[in-house]
Amino acid sequence: MKNGFLLFLGLFSALGLSWAGIVLGSYAQLGALAPYYDDSEAQSFPQRLPGIAARGQLVYRDLNCASCHTQQVRRPDFGSDQARGWGERQSVARDYIFQPWVQLGQARIGPDLTNLQSRKPTAPDEEDLMEMLYAGQGAMPAYRFLFVDRPVVGQVSEHALALTGSLRPAPGHEIVPTARALALVAYLQGLGTGYDYPEAKPAVGGGEPK
Amino acid sequence: MTAQAQVAPEEASTVGSAGRLPLLLLLGCGILWLLAAGVLGLVAAIQLHAPWFFENCRILNHGRVEALRESIWIYGWVGNAGLCVALWVLARLGGEPLRAGNLVVIGAGAWNLGLLVGLAGIVLGDGTALPALQLPGYALPVMLAGYGAMAVSGVLSWAGRRRSVMFASHWYAVAALFLFPWIFSAAQVTLIWVPVRGVLQAIVDGWYTQGIWSLWMAPLALAGAYYVVPKATGRTLPSYDAAALGFWCLVFVGPWTGGRHLIGGPVPAWISSIAIVASVTLLFHYLIVLINLRWAFGGGGVALKFVAFGLAAYALGGLVDAVTSMRGVALLTQFTHFDSAQQQLAFSGGISLMLFGAVYFAVPRLAGRPWASGALMTGHLVLAVVGVALLAVSLGAAGLIQGAALNEPAVPFAEIAERTRTWLLVATAADSLILFGNLLLAANFIQTVACRCGRDQEAVTP
Amino acid sequence: MSGPPSRDPRQVPAAVNDENLLAAHEKLLGHQPDDRANYRLLPLGILFFLSGLILFSATYLNRYAGHFSATIYNETQKPSTGAAAVAKIDPIAMGKRLFNTPGACVTCHQPTGEGIAGVYPPLAGSEWAQGPEDRVLRILLDGLTGPVTVKGTAFSASSMPAFGPSGSNWSDDKIAAVLTYVRQEWGNKAPPITADKVAAVRAQVADHGVWSASDLLQVK
Repeated sequence: MKNGFLLFLGLFSALGLSWAGIVLGSYAQLGALAPYYDDSEAQSFPQRLPGIAARGQLVYRDLNCASCHTQQVRRPDFGSDQARGWGERQSVARDYIFQPWVQLGQARIGPDLTNLQSRKPTAPDEEDLMEMLYAGQGAMPAYRFLFVDRPVVGQVSEHALALTGSLRPAPGHEIVPTARALALVAYLQGLGTGYDYPEAKPAVGGGEPK
Repeated sequence: MTAQAQVAPEEASTVGSAGRLPLLLLLGCGILWLLAAGVLGLVAAIQLHAPWFFENCRILNHGRVEALRESIWIYGWVGNAGLCVALWVLARLGGEPLRAGNLVVIGAGAWNLGLLVGLAGIVLGDGTALPALQLPGYALPVMLAGYGAMAVSGVLSWAGRRRSVMFASHWYAVAALFLFPWIFSAAQVTLIWVPVRGVLQAIVDGWYTQGIWSLWMAPLALAGAYYVVPKATGRTLPSYDAAALGFWCLVFVGPWTGGRHLIGGPVPAWISSIAIVASVTLLFHYLIVLINLRWAFGGGGVALKFVAFGLAAYALGGLVDAVTSMRGVALLTQFTHFDSAQQQLAFSGGISLMLFGAVYFAVPRLAGRPWASGALMTGHLVLAVVGVALLAVSLGAAGLIQGAALNEPAVPFAEIAERTRTWLLVATAADSLILFGNLLLAANFIQTVACRCGRDQEAVTP
Repeated sequence: MSGPPSRDPRQVPAAVNDENLLAAHEKLLGHQPDDRANYRLLPLGILFFLSGLILFSATYLNRYAGHFSATIYNETQKPSTGAAAVAKIDPIAMGKRLFNTPGACVTCHQPTGEGIAGVYPPLAGSEWAQGPEDRVLRILLDGLTGPVTVKGTAFSASSMPAFGPSGSNWSDDKIAAVLTYVRQEWGNKAPPITADKVAAVRAQVADHGVWSASDLLQVK
């Protein structure tokens, strides 16, 4: 190749083509994705997370939980996502339009969290989540820096963890979650897709969409 | 072209004097970052099978360690060493001394300072949790400016070259220098400054990740490889007329693999289908590169051996990528350690080993004296190759076990951790081998560059 | 170089200098000013491989790219041929949800359908709820006022609000669903009501206003 100009032209067009195809193409299709209004429920979906849960997503992001957890459910006939109770249908683009920082994740060292509030057979409640964050569980490490161990002053705090066995704090002490822990757990409890959009209707193996 | 070609005596120092400080500085920073990435990689690997390791440390929880390691490896190691190799090769092939050396120093300072600020940001909680772009927004423009300053030198060398016809290394080096700022700034703007909405973030991030892989990292490594192989073997590259095809294949097809990790994900099917098709088409590029550089496999010095192993890892990584992108295989390997195995093969194997080859070739010519220790060179080679091979195999095995277990709904995650434990231990051992090898490189480098003890008189054949 | 390359591996010797490297490769591309251009076909094997890859890519994209549609997430899915399949909503589930909406039915008639003695009539076992469709639809669409007797008990001043256009303005689907639910819950056994029927009755009673029990008993 002799001509420097041609080289630059080629490089720029290669980059531009892929940018146009992938980024602009998806933007054209998904950029203006609007919430879906359901007549019978008289609401639009998805719904935004309430304030503390929205802050919880920032905690999730800064701790980079996405390095071990995904937030995308695959369709029922592709993997065991549905069988594990992670969701009845595939996640679609509309599920994420109101999330400021989408945390899809690329690794499942831990389970998928898309529909944590409606996980089958049992969804973890606030206590379970707090305890799991405090003590760790299986391959998940503990996150003690999200909690404060302090002496009880007067009454036991409202949010103090009810721990048993070896996890119990010293007598006269309580374990209280910090604001970050409260936000994170509120976020985790708010995770759920909640609505079946038309494009999300599963079509098993090549049939017409139901 | 034979080994007995005469060389004008002044050629030995064209790049040497002007380019010595900036390029050795870049390389030194790069090696330091490489060691840091190695340590963090070791911590992360240990945390996979021993979650209690650094678990309550707010700076070093697993997520942040991964973010730090990745950023340091990409922007610290490849950013510095890759730039050093590209600028050096362009200067050598240009036949002129390195231009704008001061700009290179300033640029390197800005780049590394920006990186440091960004890493501090991640530690303090401003990380973006975007794969390959974890650094917070405030660090990025500084890095971009630094990169621009460094790239100026390369562009000047290329524009002022003596012979008008370009060599393969020219294409790859110019591509890397020219395209990175565009990709970097496009990603910054659309992901951090004016973020796109919803899953578009994941799509743009995928485009960015595959973009810097195929349009920046791979060209930097290949620029070095395409230079080292004919220089070290003394033979012209076979099927050299196909090299241009291989180059254009990489450049045009590479970034289209952006949807590679979104198979089955919340994006329209065409995005992942195009990525799959692109990954497979990219096999053509790997084939051409292997054909062109096959004389690297014929034995030779340490540098050539590094390039050879790097090439093998690069091509193998590409093959594995193509195979695992097929949806049937992705069903088993997606979201598992197998993805890490392929990435480590391509990154720590392909890119790093090829860069090491170029570095081993460049430093004697930059420093004006030979490497301090041949034993350290060979030691590094053995440790690096064995480490990378072991890492790829162990993570791959762990990934397959994990994938099979994930697809059985009844297996709980604690059980999966148990089943993969042994392989993850082996992977940790492999990581430590790689780190130790890089320590040998660092020791050798410091001795070569800093110590002036009586080796100045040894002539270095250019 | 003045001699054979040094054997010292620490020197990482080069076998050729840069000038010759560039010149030799330039020659391969046939760009020397006084050489004829030498082009040769790519070896057949490489050509075949490239063609094979292109063929694979084209075929794969044809089958599995979902026609590049924004709404096809499953690559094995064929796009719908036109009339979008309307999702079949289970009317009883929807009806239950509507019944239990705070401020709708459950507030007065209670989740058990028993109502409150003397104030709100029961729906469980009610002859009005299980009675003729036209009657119960009029109650829902325009409301009920005045005395009414349900299951033998007299309620002196009923004040059932309207759920039709003059009140909460529920759609045909919703009214049909909630009535279908009520008519099969708590032991009720009455046939379901369709949205078409609701639409028909709505047209019939347009602008009627609130009903009284005696008027309703005239309706069959």
